Amino acid sequence: MNAPGKCDIAELKETARKIRKTVIRMSIERGGFAGQGLALADVMAVLYRSELRLQNSPPDRLVLSVGHNAMAVYAALAEIGVYGHDELTSYSAEGSRIEQVPMEDTPGFEITNGSLGQGLSQAAGMALAHKRRSEDTRIVCLSSDGEIQEGSVWESVMFAAHYRLDNLVMIVDDNDMQVDGSTSDVMCVRPILPKFTAFGWNGAVVAGDDYEGLLRAFEQSRSSAGRPFVIVLQTELCAGVRSLARFSRRHFIRAPLSTWNLALRELDGGDIREALAAEREMPADDGLP
Amino acid sequence: MLNLTGRPAVMVKAPFDTAITEICRKRPEVVVLSADLALYTDLFTVPRELPGQFVQVGVAEQNLMGVAGGLAKSGCIPVATTFAVYAVRRAYDHMVISMGTGPSRGVVVGFLPGILNPLRVHHQTLEDVAKLRSVPGACIIDPMDATELIDAVHASIDHPSLVYIRAERGMVPKLLNRGETAFAIGRVYPLRSEGDGGVGILSSGVATRWALEASVILQSRDIAHSILHVPSLKPCDTAAIAQFCAGRRLAITVENHSIIGGLGSLVAETLAGSSRHAPLVRMGIPDAWAPGGSVDHIRRQLSLDAESIARNIMELL
Repeated sequence: MNAPGKCDIAELKETARKIRKTVIRMSIERGGFAGQGLALADVMAVLYRSELRLQNSPPDRLVLSVGHNAMAVYAALAEIGVYGHDELTSYSAEGSRIEQVPMEDTPGFEITNGSLGQGLSQAAGMALAHKRRSEDTRIVCLSSDGEIQEGSVWESVMFAAHYRLDNLVMIVDDNDMQVDGSTSDVMCVRPILPKFTAFGWNGAVVAGDDYEGLLRAFEQSRSSAGRPFVIVLQTELCAGVRSLARFSRRHFIRAPLSTWNLALRELDGGDIREALAAEREMPADDGLP
Repeated sequence: MLNLTGRPAVMVKAPFDTAITEICRKRPEVVVLSADLALYTDLFTVPRELPGQFVQVGVAEQNLMGVAGGLAKSGCIPVATTFAVYAVRRAYDHMVISMGTGPSRGVVVGFLPGILNPLRVHHQTLEDVAKLRSVPGACIIDPMDATELIDAVHASIDHPSLVYIRAERGMVPKLLNRGETAFAIGRVYPLRSEGDGGVGILSSGVATRWALEASVILQSRDIAHSILHVPSLKPCDTAAIAQFCAGRRLAITVENHSIIGGLGSLVAETLAGSSRHAPLVRMGIPDAWAPGGSVDHIRRQLSLDAESIARNIMELL
């Protein structure tokens, strides 16, 4: 098996910082699912800078199963040159190909998103096809704690274990949030990892910004002989941007320009203490897209 | 059952198995999937002899469509098999989103559509064509016999969009000889032409056999009629349908599907845009759950047996 590219953690963190800035810029005009985008910046940096072997033949593939989390993927794809940063600011604009929820023909995305519970099945189908052709291709499927409430997910969890798809990794973004509130309140899915291990998977629980833990988990996934691997990624919406903390329970964020500019200044290492105090006085939006 | 030359139709065993085996032997990229119904959907040879081209997903129709979609996005041509009712009810969203938005594509074979299943509403689907007809780009084929089923499966493999085939299993009548009708997606087939006036009967799938049975009775009563077989419900040569109906006393559709959304609706929509057309009467499954039992029993209950179809046509004249 070809090893993934090596990248030191400082470089990965710098990529994540750029991804976060892109997510913010994408949100300025029309708002966005920025909380999720920011929360996933770290794992996206690890995937696109280290774990996914994009030069492999055929290349490793990321299957985004939760379409609403597309911002992080768009932003990561900009870091590897699939999109220009300017184009991404047309996110969610009428007529733009940078849609909130991507389709199969959107560059850099593998499947049509938007109807939950279908990504893992397709990722498993891909993993099976590559395995049967003896191709060294790995599939990473990005899902979430809300999405695994869909029964069809468990059909594919069973399938992946039955077919011993050890070239399949599923990331469950465990942010304890879904549209109607906290996942724990709406429909509890915890504990997540034991459910997967009971189905015959291996896995690990990792904090969303724990780079060493993430790299270790992916390393483990490569030696999970005969078993698919799940990474339960504990995240918090808007992670990594303190000035947006008041939106950390928001499914969708719309905010004034000053708020986004403050977030950009924070990501550039600027002093935001004074501005943040004023910002906290402002009412948050209703969180509806 | 008589064939088109008036001789008793030959019964052919498991035509789908024949077709899919021929295809898989020639095309290693074709992969057939089943959701624990392989033995009930005539999928015998590929699982046994070409296991690398077979995927069993267990009782999980949503995953069936999803895995098929994943295979399609990895250089394979998936053929997902299940009962029609499970494809279009339980797994409809998965079929459309995972297999039907393109550019990747796949084939879904729905067995025992309409009243071909002896069990009631939970096993019969009256609405599969209606649902698929409104999916952009989807292709729907409703073959009339074993030969056309085999031809349809062959034609589906290289069609550039989601293809849904309504299929029979077991011993299936063969009315057409292979290569005789030159099946092509989109085409319609005149099976009987008796002048441009009189009654025009349009039918699809097994209902074309019902129309041919009724035709024997109509001929014995000297009722002038023509039959147009419409196996390809989408895409469809609607210009040919409009032309077939123009100037007739009466147009009749006969289908193994709800009279809402299937062939009857297709013809009504076609004629609505034409200035010169016959009155249309739709025969099929009424807007009610069908009874269970043998196909013959259900047909009699729904006035879809040959005698009832012929009698109702004569009463309309």
